[in-house]
Amino acid sequence: MSELRPRATSDNAAPGDSQWPRWEVLKQDNERKAHQAVGSVHAADAEHALLMARTVFARRPSAVSMWVAPAACVHAWTAQELEGHAAEAVPAGPAPSEPGAASQRYFVVRKSSNRRSMTFGDLVGEVAAPTLEAALARALSEFADAPILALWLIEADAVVRSDPAVADPWFGPALDKTYKQQSIYSSSAVARKDAEEGVPE
Amino acid sequence: MPGLPLSDAEEQRLLAAFEARINAGEKIEPGDWMPAEYRRQLIRMISQHAHSEWVGMLPEGEWITSAPSLRRKLILIAKVQDEAGHGQYLYHAAETLGISREEMVDALLEGRAKYSSVFNYPTLTWADVGMIGWLVDGAAIKNQVMLAGASYGPYSRAMVRICAEETFHHKQGQEMIRRYAAGTPGQRKMAQDALNRWWWPSLMMLGPHDSDSPNTPQLKRWGVKVKTNDEVRQEFLDEHAPDLMAAGLKIPDPDLRFDEETGHWVHGPIDWDEFWRVVKGDGPCNAERLAARRKAHDEGRWVREAMAAHAQRAAQAASAAHSDGTAAEPEPSARRARADG
Repeated sequence: MSELRPRATSDNAAPGDSQWPRWEVLKQDNERKAHQAVGSVHAADAEHALLMARTVFARRPSAVSMWVAPAACVHAWTAQELEGHAAEAVPAGPAPSEPGAASQRYFVVRKSSNRRSMTFGDLVGEVAAPTLEAALARALSEFADAPILALWLIEADAVVRSDPAVADPWFGPALDKTYKQQSIYSSSAVARKDAEEGVPE
Repeated sequence: MPGLPLSDAEEQRLLAAFEARINAGEKIEPGDWMPAEYRRQLIRMISQHAHSEWVGMLPEGEWITSAPSLRRKLILIAKVQDEAGHGQYLYHAAETLGISREEMVDALLEGRAKYSSVFNYPTLTWADVGMIGWLVDGAAIKNQVMLAGASYGPYSRAMVRICAEETFHHKQGQEMIRRYAAGTPGQRKMAQDALNRWWWPSLMMLGPHDSDSPNTPQLKRWGVKVKTNDEVRQEFLDEHAPDLMAAGLKIPDPDLRFDEETGHWVHGPIDWDEFWRVVKGDGPCNAERLAARRKAHDEGRWVREAMAAHAQRAAQAASAAHSDGTAAEPEPSARRARADG
């Protein structure tokens, strides 16, 4: 196996005046959908990161859950960086269920399409393995049911989730702010008609 | 191609593969090989775009306390908040190219960075809020819809998200101005005055003519821009000229005409001297905008310092508890955090 070159999604975690560490954000639109990687925020700690994530990525419906993870705990590869690894067999390490296996759990985010989208990829599952390299091999083999254009392994212990018990006060208010929906404003065609016939107040 | 260190065969091979990927409609993602010039141009464009979102909060933000109704105030607050969020999406996209948000923000605050020329014009009346929505956001959306097709994944995704939200900015402005244009004589005068002042800056903000835009051919070749400045300006003009006239407003361009042959609207000459004056720092409000940004940054410093100190203390406490062998106090996680209501 050639060099893996694991690459955190951020190299700029040095704290400065306006630069807290970066956190990757995953958002779930509804219970039937997977969490999706939507972007990142800078924050001093996990609680701050979740508050920032809600303000930046959930100003509009819909959201039911958000996860944040420090960018340093998100290991990323593109298909180009993975060339030569896709065919690797799953290494014979201890399986996660075996007692005594010192394995680390990772959530797996996969980008599988070049379609125009506002999200990078979907959370497709998790893997456990004693090393990052083994976890990558496992993920490549387990999640090969769709093209792997890019892959993230997120250290599961580093993920902090929004509290399901407060999902409604966190995400509910966006539903009532209908003035943010373009659909409540009339179209150009209606505008022209209104101008001809007069605008009712 | 200037700026490209294409000295060896390997670089040429990588470049050919890179361009083949773009031609095949693939997105370039962080970590992929890219020419240094592609990275440089993207950092330039995305950071300028991010700065424009942040500075763009200022001309309209001035009017929040003077909104004529609660509905208009809620709309304007939401719009200004969106611009802050859009800046964050874009700073994030630029960060994936290896520059830090702090470097970009410092460049803005120190006056080294450019941002959209249009935000250096003053908002003199409430109707300017509506006209900015209709024209400035209308022009921005044309540009952003184009950039949503950009070859760099993070930029494209930020644009898709921004376009989905920005359409409301355009619609609310159009609705507001239509009502004033059909309202009392005073309202009509206010709407016309706002159009007189914002029309040309809105046409200019889409950038120099293609003949004066030396970066465009390479940016198109690499799929960063999908259309040229003049193509985007034409789309803006074709949509907005008839709508403004239908609203009963007079566009302040004596040469404006519809060309039956091409099916397109044609505008008169743009005052590019004014454009470059404003871009280079000598517009009506450049100094005021930067002063407002610096003031906000300085006045928020104590909050940033307090949060950093809090996080540092929590981390120290956790590590001390860990080395004692005692159970660490759980992080104040959002599991227990309450919504701010």
